[in-house]
Amino acid sequence: MERRKTTGDMSAAELADVLAQVRAGDAEAWGELYGQYAPAIFRFCRRALPTREDAEDATTEIFMKVRQKLGTYDSSRPFTAWLYKVASNHCWDLLRRRRIRQDLETGDLETLPLEHPDPDQLEQLQTEHDSKHVRAGLAKMPDRARMALVLRYYSDMSYDEIADTLGVRRAFVGVLLLRARHQLREILAEGGGGMRTAAAGGKP
Amino acid sequence: MNHFDEMTALLYLEQQLDTAHAQEVRGHVATCNDCRNLLRALELEGVWLRQSLEADDESVPAHLVQAPERGGTPWGWLSAFGLGAGGAYTMWSGFVEPWRAQAAQSGFTQGNLLTMLFFSGAFWKGWDAMRSLTEFLALATLGVLVIWLLRRHLRRTTAFAVVMGAMVMALALAPAGQAAEIKHGNPNYTLAAGEVIHTDLIVSADAARIDGDVDGDLITFSRSVTVNGHIKGDVISFSEELHVNGMVDGNVRAFVKEFQLNGTVGRNVMSWVGDMNTDEKSVVNGTMTLGAGDCTLNGKLVGDLLSFSGSLELDGSLGRNVMVRAGHLRVGPKAVVAGEFKAQVRKPADISPDAKLASPPVISIVEHDSDKSYSSPRYYWHQTLLWGASFIFGLVMLLLMPGFFFDAAGACKRTVPAFGFGILFLFALPIVAIIVCFTIVGIGVGITSLMLWAIALYAAQVVVGAWLGDRLLGPSTGVGAALGRMALGLLILRAIGLVPHLGFWINFLVICLGLGAIVLAIYRYMRPNLQAAAVV
Repeated sequence: MERRKTTGDMSAAELADVLAQVRAGDAEAWGELYGQYAPAIFRFCRRALPTREDAEDATTEIFMKVRQKLGTYDSSRPFTAWLYKVASNHCWDLLRRRRIRQDLETGDLETLPLEHPDPDQLEQLQTEHDSKHVRAGLAKMPDRARMALVLRYYSDMSYDEIADTLGVRRAFVGVLLLRARHQLREILAEGGGGMRTAAAGGKP
Repeated sequence: MNHFDEMTALLYLEQQLDTAHAQEVRGHVATCNDCRNLLRALELEGVWLRQSLEADDESVPAHLVQAPERGGTPWGWLSAFGLGAGGAYTMWSGFVEPWRAQAAQSGFTQGNLLTMLFFSGAFWKGWDAMRSLTEFLALATLGVLVIWLLRRHLRRTTAFAVVMGAMVMALALAPAGQAAEIKHGNPNYTLAAGEVIHTDLIVSADAARIDGDVDGDLITFSRSVTVNGHIKGDVISFSEELHVNGMVDGNVRAFVKEFQLNGTVGRNVMSWVGDMNTDEKSVVNGTMTLGAGDCTLNGKLVGDLLSFSGSLELDGSLGRNVMVRAGHLRVGPKAVVAGEFKAQVRKPADISPDAKLASPPVISIVEHDSDKSYSSPRYYWHQTLLWGASFIFGLVMLLLMPGFFFDAAGACKRTVPAFGFGILFLFALPIVAIIVCFTIVGIGVGITSLMLWAIALYAAQVVVGAWLGDRLLGPSTGVGAALGRMALGLLILRAIGLVPHLGFWINFLVICLGLGAIVLAIYRYMRPNLQAAAVV
């Protein structure tokens, strides 16, 4: 799965050439690499972090790290995957450092009952809310839940990658994603949507 | 198989189930309508989430988009640097230097207030350690501010070395002190005629009488001070009464209740005084700067006069320009003014027809704020002009630095931090500027800081106006739409500002919010820019 977003259309050969030049200390090549990927990383950060200012800061800091760590990049693997890995790790570290993350979140997720949605209401929710609503709802979500959704549905990370980034067991990633979806539904519904989860056991 | 739960459905859709389990789900879905509907709804939700997350509904900041051109000459940076240097030179030569020169004419001759008032005077003689400590504290404060601003660059040891080196050099350049004689009265002190103090003299007494000569400066802390002798340095007096009948070669700086000048001052007079009188025999060879309650000047003044006083009576000879702000002004028949005469008064000036004025006096009547008439069309015309001025300022700001303009206006959204920073900088920056004046860095930098602060205060209304317009009419794109929104916002702010009493507080809040937003925008621009770092 490799659908990470970038700007421009640098070919694999060109990218390899640019990376080699950056490693050799070529400032212009670094500028080119930055111009190619910084907007995409900003968009990722904008979704993973609560505010625009956080995203701008994080983008800058991520590229500082990239420049420092470029020597450790294994060129046999996709560069964008490595770049997004660095970015997601940085964003998650940032949130953890700020102690925004709820320590109780894990426990809540494991103990809260999963309520089945009504498929009709779920579809109605999707028709009533556009991308702006979703993005606004995302900003209101707990950090771990938001990160999980962004990593999975924006960055197309695998369950293994998500587990590694968020520091959870792989088996827990599915629970995390499902609970995140539920939280997003609740937030959107409270914001005027028509979605309400059905009582447990009420549906299939 | 029974109905499967939502967790299983999600894992099935995301291909996370093992083969056997997935096969079981697949088989059940083929026969169960409810589970098929659930699966379909979750699948659609996944698609909807992806599409929503991928939608680009927000612009990427310019500094994250622009990549340096390959091999191109950085003309933009060169131009910006050239313009910046030119602007700095213009500001210095056009604004700061004239102020500094004016200050020098008024007796502020030694580059910075600290040196002038204390360290080259007798007042501070023998207090080298204290001087070093005070200067160090002032410089350390500045240094901490600089380090705070550059903290993200401090990974580069050169920047740190430059800052620390500058501080060390500033300390190393501090002027040296000299010794002084310190006299305490019991309760009075008299320096008899014929006696000479060969250094500076510091006197603390109930009444101090100086009939002898002092080769250095005379500093007094006394209820009453009379100077009949010859002071070759400056006279600095903190007292209730000061009478100068003798001769002072340097400056007189008086912080007194009553100041009577009958003698000669070689350089300048600067005084904050309740009552001030100069006898017709008195001579001041430099300039005179006064902040006085009642003031009567009958003597000869060679240089300029700058006076802020409750009432001012001029009946002497004034060699150069006169600039006065007074409650009441009277110009007597013996008055001679060789230069320009400008005055702002609250009541019509009383000017004797026998007074000899080189040019017609320019006298304007200043009204109390409470005198402004809300029913006068002229008042509203004046407000319209003020609105137009702020709009033109915003227009220039928008055209010259659109990115900063929009960033600052956008920063108003962060109301709490903007207010916090606004209040902090509103009060802290002038204090820092005054501290700068008291350090070796000098008056020039202090005045520059105050001017930038004043510009930021004015720009605050523009920033808030632009933000308010955006809030009312919705976000816009393009310069034209932004100008329209700014004009509307400024109009509303000015209209609210007209409300008695409430308007003042609204304006205060606007200044705090706008100033804070400007600070936040500047902070954003000061963050490390990797692209710039890459091409250095």
